[in-house]
Amino acid sequence: MTAITLNSINKRFGPVHVLKDISLQFDKGEFVVLVGPSGCGKSTLLRMIAGLEPVSSGDMIFGDTRVNDLEPRERDIAMVFQSYALYPHMNVERNLGFSLELRKRAAAEKKDRTSHAAGILGLDKLLDRFPKALSGGQRQRVAMGRAIVRDPQIFLFDEPLSNLDAALRIEMRIEIAKLHQRLGTTMVYVTHDQVEAMTLADRIVVMNAGQVEQVGTPLDLYSNPANLFVAGFLGSPKMNFVAHDDAALNLPSSLTNPSAQTYGIRPEHIKVTAPDDTAHLVGTIDVVERLGSDTIFYINHGATKPFVVRVPGIDRTAIGEKIGCQFQPEDLHLFDQNGQAISEHKNG
Amino acid sequence: MTMALPTSPGNGRGRPLKRFQWLVEPYLYLSPAIILIALVILVPLVVGVSYAFQAIDLLNPFETGWVGFANFEKLWADRLFWKALTNTFWWTLGSLFFQFFLGLGLALLLNKPFAGRGLVQGLVFLPWAVPAFLSGLNWAWLFNPIIGPIPHWLAALGIMEKPQNILANPELALWGPIVANVWFGIPFFAITLLAALQSIPRDLYEAAAIDGASVWQSFIKITVPFLAPTIAITVMLRTIWIANFADLIYIMTGGGPANSTNIISSYIFTTAFRRLDFAYASTLAIALLVLLLAYAMLILQMRKHLVKGI
Ligand SMILES: Nc1ncnc2c1ncn2[C@@H]1O[C@H](COP(=O)(O)OP(=O)(O)OP(=O)(O)O)[C@@H](O)[C@H]1O
Ligand SMILES: [Mg+2]
Repeated sequence: MTAITLNSINKRFGPVHVLKDISLQFDKGEFVVLVGPSGCGKSTLLRMIAGLEPVSSGDMIFGDTRVNDLEPRERDIAMVFQSYALYPHMNVERNLGFSLELRKRAAAEKKDRTSHAAGILGLDKLLDRFPKALSGGQRQRVAMGRAIVRDPQIFLFDEPLSNLDAALRIEMRIEIAKLHQRLGTTMVYVTHDQVEAMTLADRIVVMNAGQVEQVGTPLDLYSNPANLFVAGFLGSPKMNFVAHDDAALNLPSSLTNPSAQTYGIRPEHIKVTAPDDTAHLVGTIDVVERLGSDTIFYINHGATKPFVVRVPGIDRTAIGEKIGCQFQPEDLHLFDQNGQAISEHKNG
Repeated sequence: MTMALPTSPGNGRGRPLKRFQWLVEPYLYLSPAIILIALVILVPLVVGVSYAFQAIDLLNPFETGWVGFANFEKLWADRLFWKALTNTFWWTLGSLFFQFFLGLGLALLLNKPFAGRGLVQGLVFLPWAVPAFLSGLNWAWLFNPIIGPIPHWLAALGIMEKPQNILANPELALWGPIVANVWFGIPFFAITLLAALQSIPRDLYEAAAIDGASVWQSFIKITVPFLAPTIAITVMLRTIWIANFADLIYIMTGGGPANSTNIISSYIFTTAFRRLDFAYASTLAIALLVLLLAYAMLILQMRKHLVKGI
């Protein structure tokens, strides 16, 4: 069953056309992550789902109700803001129960539901505190708790973890994943962070400049990016792109395709070999990063951008050495002159 | 080994003399400022208060000297004082009530974006810039049926039987200066409350809208708590200011007809500069001061409770 359907949604701020013809369907209970570079319209789309921004044209449908003209409070959604937007003049308990207070629910029910949410998030001891006396992570929990108390049809998150430090971010990421498993509610989650996207999402929507570039499961997007943008956006370090006429490239004819303009290969899919005729690409090592778990080589093969290779473990190959690289056919991504993936080759 | 630090404050705390030095020293450095402040603030205050316990009547220059509480006994028995006190109450309450609520309404309107907002904001703040003397005269004329339109409008609306000058009617005269004062004071509340409104983060309203708040609920539960500290402080300042603000009354009615519009501060003014009885004027001023101090302390106590989370 679909929870949210977007039908040719457009958004204009005056003359600025921010979202162009967005059509998407999110299933009930699905965890959907919206990713894309800054300014591509992720927050705007999320705020339109929340009802905080009017839709310029197109249909926004929840279940089978058109909600374009419904107020946020009529949509049965909860949203976690990047800034948390906690009410500074209310203590944690009142912050959590504010939606029930507005609905004039009985004190007992309020107590019940707030302490339930506080229990899930470990906020029991903080109920009397005011937001200014909480740490960033605690505020984040309160913001999530406020959404949990609502027990909404849809959860919306706008970069909820971006104000936290790295360790706390990982912790809260796991917390959110657990929350989704536990509640099974439809969640739409906006982030910059591709690790968050890959780990949390059932499906990822990659956006760029107000348009949807590709929709799919994390692994689908990783293995079959539809175009150069998606290929370069997901994965770290980024996919290497080599022009078809690059002199350093030495692909056997079985791997080439006449309409391919660009070949893409992920750093982790490269095998280091001797710099001889069997190598598909040859270059000299410019920089080495040894992370312990992996070693990353930046290889100069004559192009402006280095060719990046990631090998597992600690590799002692030194700077200045000449090495060869080999790819498996199924790991090679081919893109035509429009930057679109050439797919028939891949499946072959 | 380490350097000796003979002048460091913590060092000599053990010995009595040093300890005394340590306590006194800061005040020594502060003394020029303290003496200056005392001279400027305290001396005039004490001199002024001392007048209330003397007889200083310029029309009776030979009967001066200390008279104890005689002036306060006179005050207690003075019918005009009680009348002025009642008037002060209604004058302050009436002016403040309308200034505040109209100012708040205006601030809420100006907080919404609309075409020409900048211009309207500028115009709204004009009355504040008009000298009280000028606006007093202006309103006195507006209430005058011979040259002003207001009595004719009131008569046309059936509120008044025939066009009369309310400033000449002892029952209604106080409302003339109150109306002028409301017009004059709205911008003050509009400016300060607008500034406070604009400092409320927008995402709180969005969070509240998602939590299910109606417009009225987010006003009561978000806007009002955020404005409360500003409201407390501006209402306090304005109360004191209005209670002391005799200009409009003096210009529009001169306290008349038959003393029906005197407030304490205009009564002080006439007592001091018309009747030249400085001692009694000072007694009246002390009465007003005590009342306002009590009021200010009450409001400041309330404000403490309002600012908890913010
Ligand atoms: N109120 C507005 N008026 C005009 N333009 C706006 C408004 N709000 C957003 N925009 C524009 O819309 C575009 C999308 O903004 P949005 O906030 O959705 O980006 P985003 O993808 O969330 O970016 P980020 O990752 O930096 O948060 C931006 O170019 C922004 O300048
Ligand atoms: Mg954003």
